Amino acid sequence: MNNRVSRCAMFVTPTNPRFIDKAWTRGGDVYILDIEDSIAPAEKQRCRTLIRESIEKANKGGASIYVRINKPFVDADLPYAVWPGVDRIMLPKTESAADLRHAHEIILRLEKERGIPPNSIELSPMIESALGTMNIYELLTATPRKIYSQGGAGGYDMSVDLGIEMFADFDQYTFPVAYVALAAMSLDIEATGGVFIPNTSGRVDQSDQAAKQAAAFHAAHIHHAGALHPAFIQPLISGLTPTAEEVAWANKVVDAFDQLTDAGEAVGRLDGKVIDKYEYKLAKRTLDWAAACAAKDAYKARALSRAQAA
Amino acid sequence: MTTQTMPSGADGSPLAGEKLTPKYIRRSLLALSIDDPQLAQKAFASWADAVILDAAKRPDRNWQEDLKARMPAAIHAAARGGAEVFVRIERDTAVAELDATIFAGLSGVVLKGATGPDDVVTVSRRLSALEVARGIAGGSLEIDVEVNTPGAVWHSLEIARASPRFGVFLINEAELCRNLGMQASPTLDFDPLEYIKSQLITVATSVGGQALGMSYPLSLTEENANDDAVAKAVRRARDTGFKGAVCPHASWIKFCNEGFRPSSEEAAYYVKVIEVFAEGIKRGMASVPIDGKMIDVPVDVRAKLYLKWANRAQERDDEKARAHAKPGA
Repeated sequence: MNNRVSRCAMFVTPTNPRFIDKAWTRGGDVYILDIEDSIAPAEKQRCRTLIRESIEKANKGGASIYVRINKPFVDADLPYAVWPGVDRIMLPKTESAADLRHAHEIILRLEKERGIPPNSIELSPMIESALGTMNIYELLTATPRKIYSQGGAGGYDMSVDLGIEMFADFDQYTFPVAYVALAAMSLDIEATGGVFIPNTSGRVDQSDQAAKQAAAFHAAHIHHAGALHPAFIQPLISGLTPTAEEVAWANKVVDAFDQLTDAGEAVGRLDGKVIDKYEYKLAKRTLDWAAACAAKDAYKARALSRAQAA
Repeated sequence: MTTQTMPSGADGSPLAGEKLTPKYIRRSLLALSIDDPQLAQKAFASWADAVILDAAKRPDRNWQEDLKARMPAAIHAAARGGAEVFVRIERDTAVAELDATIFAGLSGVVLKGATGPDDVVTVSRRLSALEVARGIAGGSLEIDVEVNTPGAVWHSLEIARASPRFGVFLINEAELCRNLGMQASPTLDFDPLEYIKSQLITVATSVGGQALGMSYPLSLTEENANDDAVAKAVRRARDTGFKGAVCPHASWIKFCNEGFRPSSEEAAYYVKVIEVFAEGIKRGMASVPIDGKMIDVPVDVRAKLYLKWANRAQERDDEKARAHAKPGA
């Protein structure tokens, strides 16, 4: 499933056929089936019952599938969310290790009941409050399940918790973003970080905004981003994929450093730039990420062909 | 915030589990010396939400007895315009200062120079004893921490969690800069304390408290600034997450009182948000746009919280107005 590549994870509402039925045609790496904030309280139960069929609809184009459940309804949501084909459960507003352990135990039971390999579904604590931020390390180490660290950034819920307006023209989340990302990195856990890009309009449907975001993330070697509107999908996917020039440069760096190593040297120069073990590691990471993106794109292309032929 | 803990409406009382945002309406704080012969007039005329009393220890006499004799009147004088009153104490002499300054009428203390949670625990224990001894409701006195040392920043989470009395971080940026080995200068093109401010706001919020501070460069500017600059700085401070500021110039107070709360324009927008979202919910949609902005549950929750915040700020202003209108005030 190549779940690791999530250049654009887009939220879709299973209750809206206009969104869920077309999702597979839009080319997203990941679709997040939402039972949480985009679903009205009166629609929650109907939404739960639509998750299983929505997995089949949304992943026809090769996308990975996440399900975002409701923090107050973990027990009610998970039996409708844990199915073969689901790659990750997103647990919003996580604030304590107990929140995470509770969800983990229910998922584990459901995995066993439904023939899913135990602990194969990832769990993603969404950090959307100051308390969740300060407890991040204990959350990330709370369960044996593979964890992906999500958030700590300037989301809507975090702004509510901090009592600040969204869409200021400066970075309001300097500490929480860095703190959450650092905790994850110290544990070798993949994380969504963030680079502040002003969006004073608050619009979520502008592709030029997505392109700016992708460029900033890419420069910071952040590979993952989310979207609320299809206009974000292609700019994020193309912007977060290494370019041919970057791949060519990375290959040159690796070759040059290998030659240095063979010559018993640790530092050299390539086209006027210093090459050392750090540059080498960075180049290897670029190549690794480029290969993962290529594999994901090929997987999606094959899935799309099959779906279109069907 | 979840659908289950959503407030019932902008004018309703908080539901169980709902946090007040912000916890305190403490937009403007003015520091005054109890030796100031014009203490009462300055506090009254300022319209500050809170007054911090500084009590100098006079070396030429028994300073504790001296302060004990003068504090009750100073507290009364500072509160005349409806302000909450705090007394500032130093970490190194905290217990002795508490014994000399804690009297009925105080909302709490501002602890300066703390470097770790033990300092807060020490103060909290002494306050408990003094509350009993001086007829003050048990647990009512708050501990606010003036952050001016690297230790206070590093241990901010432990400090905030050290006592349920913890309420607020006040950032003394000039002293913190100096204690970090930096010049407290407003001439840089970036805020050298940006990360620390964000940390203290996050930590304070995580325990249900709040942080007070001003945005750069006014946070490090000794001279006063023009009205427009102060108003803009207050707005930026609010957007950073601060809920008020200590005002080195009394002229800042009205801008803090007006700026550290949702404006009437914002309140009108949030009324629209609530209406549009409620219409969406009726149609079974929990995500509806206004001018391209997505309105969903957290946006709706914030709209309701902000209207409550605006109402609480107005109530605080009304409270101070009543204090000013009292006969003999």
